[in-house]
Amino acid sequence: MIYVVYALIFFSAFFALAGVVGMLRMPDTFCRMQSSTNITTFGMIGVIAGGVLYSGFVLYNYEMLIKLIVMGLFYILTTPISAHAIAKGAYHHGNKMIEDAACDQYKEDMEE
Amino acid sequence: MKKASLPAIAATAVICFIFWLLLTGELASLIEGEPSLEVLIAGALVSVGVALFSARFFIHERPLFFFNPVRIFWLLVYCVGVFPMELFKANWDVAKRALSPGLPINPGIVKIPVELKSQYGQSMLADSITLTPGTIIMNTVKEEDKDYFYVHWIHVDSADHEEAGAAIKGRLEKWARRIWE
Repeated sequence: MIYVVYALIFFSAFFALAGVVGMLRMPDTFCRMQSSTNITTFGMIGVIAGGVLYSGFVLYNYEMLIKLIVMGLFYILTTPISAHAIAKGAYHHGNKMIEDAACDQYKEDMEE
Repeated sequence: MKKASLPAIAATAVICFIFWLLLTGELASLIEGEPSLEVLIAGALVSVGVALFSARFFIHERPLFFFNPVRIFWLLVYCVGVFPMELFKANWDVAKRALSPGLPINPGIVKIPVELKSQYGQSMLADSITLTPGTIIMNTVKEEDKDYFYVHWIHVDSADHEEAGAAIKGRLEKWARRIWE
């Protein structure tokens, strides 16, 4: 079982690395946020799932297991809300998308 | 503001009590078979007290319809099976884009129609779409009794409302409807 835990943590480390590389390479604010979602989903869920398995099947500490599940639950419930708020706030504050963006139907509708 | 009905207060109290069990670690004691009666009674009292004041902010639609085993079963299937699969596909896609040398992105903001009527269903769909890498909901709008989401999409395949909606929502909307409507 401990090897499953190692595998999960390695897996989420890979996605966190990909997310950080993406954050450094992406051209504008919104694309950087997209890449950071990599870190906030699998980068975190893998670590929490690893912790759940470790506390449940190696340590047999159920209190720790339930706290980890609660952490994961609140994490999943709250991150998308802050992402909506940050994206909308950044757009209205005047952060531009890159010049050759495919389309911006939000701006078209706001100008009407 | 409308007053909370008795079923709404009961539903809020039950949910508060579940979170009390989770946060105090009492659920672990229940599993181990040595629950402490004082903590359970205090939790019940606090839950009812909180529910009396907060039910009208928490419940907006039919209060008891979620306490239905079929819905809870579909919610569990969604959280454990369907959503992680979608999450994995999207994560892999964005990780590949971030690591490939040419940085193959084509970002844009598209407007997609939403068929769901329930507020809970809409917010679950919006949160699910935001959690999948590659798409972020930026705003919602209501035009002529139809709801739309503005979505920032990292690789725009089609700027058409319906096609973009089908590509972004995928299976998620069907599941949100099955759970919440």
